[in-house]
Amino acid sequence: MSWASVLKAAVGFSALVNICAAQGQIPMADSTNRSIGHGAPVEYLFPEQVTIPAGKPQPVELHFRIAQGFHINSHTPKEDYLIPTVFSVPESAGVRLASATYPDGADFTLPLDPATKLSVYTGEFAIQTKLIAERGNHLVQASLHYQACDQNACMPPKTITVPIDVIGN
Amino acid sequence: MKRNTLVLSIVLLLLAVFAWAGWANWEYRKQAAEKRLASAAKAELVTASAAGDGDIQHFSSPLLSHPAPKFTLEDLSGKKVSLDSYKGKAVLINFWATWCGPCKIETPWLVELRNQYASKGFEILGVSADDLDLDDKKKLAEEKSDIAKFAQQEHMQYPVLINGESLDKPYGGLDALPTSYFIDRNGNVVAAEMGLTSKADLEGNIRKALGE
Repeated sequence: MSWASVLKAAVGFSALVNICAAQGQIPMADSTNRSIGHGAPVEYLFPEQVTIPAGKPQPVELHFRIAQGFHINSHTPKEDYLIPTVFSVPESAGVRLASATYPDGADFTLPLDPATKLSVYTGEFAIQTKLIAERGNHLVQASLHYQACDQNACMPPKTITVPIDVIGN
Repeated sequence: MKRNTLVLSIVLLLLAVFAWAGWANWEYRKQAAEKRLASAAKAELVTASAAGDGDIQHFSSPLLSHPAPKFTLEDLSGKKVSLDSYKGKAVLINFWATWCGPCKIETPWLVELRNQYASKGFEILGVSADDLDLDDKKKLAEEKSDIAKFAQQEHMQYPVLINGESLDKPYGGLDALPTSYFIDRNGNVVAAEMGLTSKADLEGNIRKALGE
């Protein structure tokens, strides 16, 4: 084995490694990416699973988190034209929503419109629900409908899925 | 035998060095790409206070310097309005919605600026992005009525078009409102804004569209 052939083999191997590395390079982000509008500003936190007696309304507290810098209208916004936050459970899921009690919204004003007071949720909030479950295990795909804004812009209304495994016994 | 062992050791050492170099190169590229991804995601809507020119958000649209996508939409009376019919004028396409608080703040500025620059060949097309139930006549009538009420309250004397959601794709997603595109007399997009900026910022872009 000559030194030349050893060197040639080594260079060839290195080139191969580098080509593979280049192939694995992460592509540039799409230039249309924006900080607002990507992903949901509201996230369902917990519970993932609840066990409740079947056949009668049982309290279940649902927790949500709003991304920093955003607010959403409360369940009772101060103006008719604003979209309220509403929790719902689909029919025929083996689980029925008997009632939902929403937290009071906090007063909020936009810096350029201090005269208009909004009723909003920010940070974490919880909805007190009463669920009636049939006996058995039900994977409920409930929904939270809301409309989020930051100080300068609003995102279109959105509905997120709230998955809860409800065990009625 | 001894020589062969030595050569083999050197080859293995060289291979290890080159493999390490390749891996280090890959790691470096990966980290650089991640940094680019992170900065690119933030770069599209940047609060300019960080850059020292006030609390304004700048929106970098892929439509900039390109012909504005053509469209024909209905106004509140059902009349079809096409962007083409404004050729030769500077046009501001303003996407808004009745549920959008910042749009309510911006609209009086737009009304004033339209009055100020209309004589120079400037027009605003206010495109409502409110969701419409096109298959439900009763709901559709209520939704149109809500849009008309907002337009009347805000004294929008310029054409108010509906079903702006249908322009979501050609106009880059409409992820947030208000969003405005400024189009010059040749039909090219010369500026774009997402979110509430300022009256001065809007005026600057209107003048740009007018070629001043």
